[in-house]
Amino acid sequence: MVALLKEIYRAEPSFDEVLAEHPRFPRLIARKIDVQRRGVHYTEAAEKAVDPAVHQLRSPYIFGSRDGEIKPLPESLLLRDGTTILVDPTPLDQNPYVVDYRDGRFVLLDDGQRVEEVDLWPKPSYYDKLTTSGLPMSHIVSARPQRLNVFQSSFCYFWADKEGCQFCDIVTHTKQQRDEIGVPNRLRPEDVKETVAEAIKEPGRFTNLCLTAGSVTKGKEIFDLEVEFYIELLQAIGENFRTKKFPSQLIASAFNEKQLARLYNETGLTSYTTDLEVLNEELFGWICPGKARQVGYQGWKQRLVNAVDIFGRGNVGTGIVGGVETAQPSGFKSEHDALQSTLAEADWLAARGVTTVYIVWVPRPGSAFRDQKAPSLDYFIRLAKGLQDIRASHGLKVDFDDYRRCGNHPDSDLARLQ
Amino acid sequence: MAAILTPDVIALLDSAETIKILATVDANGAPDAVEKPSLHHGGDGTIHVLEFLETSAANRNLTHAIWFGGSVSIALHGADGHRVQIKGRPVKLHITGPLFQKHYVRARETLGDVDLAGVWVIEPDEVIDERFEKVRAREDAAHPDFIHLDRIAV
Repeated sequence: MVALLKEIYRAEPSFDEVLAEHPRFPRLIARKIDVQRRGVHYTEAAEKAVDPAVHQLRSPYIFGSRDGEIKPLPESLLLRDGTTILVDPTPLDQNPYVVDYRDGRFVLLDDGQRVEEVDLWPKPSYYDKLTTSGLPMSHIVSARPQRLNVFQSSFCYFWADKEGCQFCDIVTHTKQQRDEIGVPNRLRPEDVKETVAEAIKEPGRFTNLCLTAGSVTKGKEIFDLEVEFYIELLQAIGENFRTKKFPSQLIASAFNEKQLARLYNETGLTSYTTDLEVLNEELFGWICPGKARQVGYQGWKQRLVNAVDIFGRGNVGTGIVGGVETAQPSGFKSEHDALQSTLAEADWLAARGVTTVYIVWVPRPGSAFRDQKAPSLDYFIRLAKGLQDIRASHGLKVDFDDYRRCGNHPDSDLARLQ
Repeated sequence: MAAILTPDVIALLDSAETIKILATVDANGAPDAVEKPSLHHGGDGTIHVLEFLETSAANRNLTHAIWFGGSVSIALHGADGHRVQIKGRPVKLHITGPLFQKHYVRARETLGDVDLAGVWVIEPDEVIDERFEKVRAREDAAHPDFIHLDRIAV
């Protein structure tokens, strides 16, 4: 395992001091951000209280974790307002939050103080079943509290060309999952169809499906092969529904209009996301060299805007790795400048019907940025508020990527009041 | 300290004959009052509210209340004339898990093709008997001078 820099978060202003600067920002969402930023460690008591029959344990995921290990720990947490926290187990020396079990409840501790009660994600009933081909269904489709995730393939051709995004550990992690727990390199549509059919038998559990995988640059035109894979998969999944369209999100490469039209017309897909990762052309070139060389920042943005004509306003989004714009040595030196630049670009996109959501950047041990330090809690609060304000000011909804359908974006959590 | 729901209030909460109103306020203080037949006793001294619409004013306002420590008011009017007001705070939202699933299944069995956005848990802070004779007795005791003179004229 790669050694990690020890993060000294105690040298920063305290959680309460930061929140005092943001009295109109929800404390629970700030807590979510801080937990994602710092990670969690499960005490022995918490581990003992985990019931594998009731609680969802960690299932295959497209990205790796902060401890660089695959262990049967809880998948993640829910706060009392229904907010999802997607967070990794984290070594104690990085000063994470602690999840303990006290008086019959799971609780979140910060510096030994109980700060919140939390729930573990409930295990979906299909997790104990096998496909006809003999694979654990949990390896085919993984669950969030209300979403089904299909990670068709964790291989990314940008990595093959040694031009992978610098914050990303997708290929490192896929090799680890294949070697340690036998997750297939690429999913077969019939296995996915069968697993989805089983999953949606559970009443009131799932509200949408999300498909994502690494970029496949092959084909007559760039990404043609990737589009073919998704069409095949979405058509197989669609056989489980009586309506042509079903609530779904594809997070994929930046497709051209012909490819997007095929996806929209030939499948039940309802929303499309392609991640710019960082909203700055110069930093895009540094952080996402493969995307920059093969499509370019302006090209990627234009493809997002073109997608609005096909999928409709409010059904197209881009994700950014919030905070990676402060990575060094080429990133912004000041959080203020980073925020101004990012929000200006998000506003440009929103004016054209594209919504921007962020995930909290976690420097992962399997990524090139493993030794970097994420920005402050204050930065992430301002970024969440800024993105949500932009969305609201342009009348954009984020129904395909909100606190229920996704749960990994603090800014779209705020859309609950929109 | 949460207020205790007495058996008569619990009966009122659980009766299908009771008119149940939930009042909330939004981020700007604008009120919203809506009839909530789904409101019932949670079995542990709390009150559960089934919310069927994700973007309803009540759902947004309850979210605002749990985020910023706001409170809500519940008015109950029983078939026998019994009236109660309960003031409380939303303390939890179930969007998944056994409790949510139980209500989801039951709602669809009884109401047909409906969805369920969440089950809110309200912790009562205060229970006020709102029967007019009780309210009037309290008013008379606290403010004996508030009376039209013709009522006491000889």
